[in-house]
Amino acid sequence: MSALALRYDLKRDGHAPVSVAVPGGTTQRVRLPDTEARNHLVGAVLSTRCGLDEELELFGEPVRGLKRLQRGRLHERIGVLTQAMGLISNLNAWENISLEAAYHGTQPIARIAQTAREALQSLGAEPQAFLARLPDEMDPFERKLVAFLRLLAKEPALALIDGLGEGLNREQSARAARFEAEYRARQPEGTLVFVDLAEEEVP
Amino acid sequence: MIRALREVEGGLRLLMNVWLRVPALRRAPVRESFLRQIYFTGVTASTGVVLRASGLGALIIAFTMQVLDADTSLAVKILLWVVLREVGPLAAAMVVILRTGTAVSAELAMMRISGQTDTLRRMGIEPYDYLVVPRVMGVMVATAALTCYIQFLAVAGGMILSPFVIQASFTELYTRFFDLVAPVDFAYSLLKSLMFGFAIALTCCYHGLNPPALTLNGVPQSVTRAVTQSAIAVLVINALFAYLVFGVLFFGLVKAVV
Repeated sequence: MSALALRYDLKRDGHAPVSVAVPGGTTQRVRLPDTEARNHLVGAVLSTRCGLDEELELFGEPVRGLKRLQRGRLHERIGVLTQAMGLISNLNAWENISLEAAYHGTQPIARIAQTAREALQSLGAEPQAFLARLPDEMDPFERKLVAFLRLLAKEPALALIDGLGEGLNREQSARAARFEAEYRARQPEGTLVFVDLAEEEVP
Repeated sequence: MIRALREVEGGLRLLMNVWLRVPALRRAPVRESFLRQIYFTGVTASTGVVLRASGLGALIIAFTMQVLDADTSLAVKILLWVVLREVGPLAAAMVVILRTGTAVSAELAMMRISGQTDTLRRMGIEPYDYLVVPRVMGVMVATAALTCYIQFLAVAGGMILSPFVIQASFTELYTRFFDLVAPVDFAYSLLKSLMFGFAIALTCCYHGLNPPALTLNGVPQSVTRAVTQSAIAVLVINALFAYLVFGVLFFGLVKAVV
């Protein structure tokens, strides 16, 4: 078993090769040269699949050629917060946070509720009112917060956060920067990866 | 023509998928969605719209009796054959198409267009399990419940209204109605309403999940197709049912007590 939690290589015609290696248990900020490379990396981790021009290893295991069950097991250890956030519009914040765990029966709902309450309180939101709101009633930071809480509920060994500060104002970006501490408090052994474009300011 | 064939094929595949995936109702979020669907389709519809639909039943009785110059015997037959067997299930189906069919197809089309069905897949949640099964099952149950409710209101309304139009007392109508009505009438309308609910939900889910374009323009097109085809499906099922039950199967087997 490699000590790397994430290893990713991308070779494209006419572009410099991209190589990412993230040791397990660390927090890393990965800056990629362009949006295409970023979409490739995030898409590969999200789907635990890779194309012909890329190589992906998660927790030392190459994802190419994995069987469905193995892919599923690997997927359970990974949490990804994408820019699109992927919230379900007719579910309120709490239902969005707990849906995956409740559907698969992987985590006790009481534990998810406690994690969500504690994280919301430490991030300055009032849990009762916040959890009852629909995504359309939220600002970009609040939607990102719901997606982050959904990620936390999964208790992932590897969390990948794509473009954390994008679409947020300065004050919201400052609040979003506290996500790292929240993740670390709950997953001291976990690996946290922030993905951004090279020219951007990472919060 | 090709589109129609593709829709039939897609609908049949969805039908198989739904039946095979019914055990998904054991999962908590799917069960919750199922109960929510029953609440939306059945409970919220039972206030205003259903009262109006059941008024239609009473109106049919009043109109037919006046035109046909009906006596007590004919009034009871109209109550049973027209209102209980036909108007009840059809009125419930129309309420469900107009309220739930439009909502389901628009909601699913929006989810498909905005990529929410892909999000569900990424979470390992099969959209058929989470979106289609609870809606189809919920709409079936709610349509059957609405049908019973409309039948009760329409028949009761007819019995209360009839004495004002014909020479018959409420008690006389009530007694003759319950002499004539048989359990098969309730089984017939229950089965029919379950099939109506199934066809409506399946059609609306299919068009919601397969909008003609993955842009916002696809939403109204999905809704239009879903509503039109649901109405056609209901009418076809109604005609088939009437023919099978009263034209072939029951003729000579079940004797109407008149």
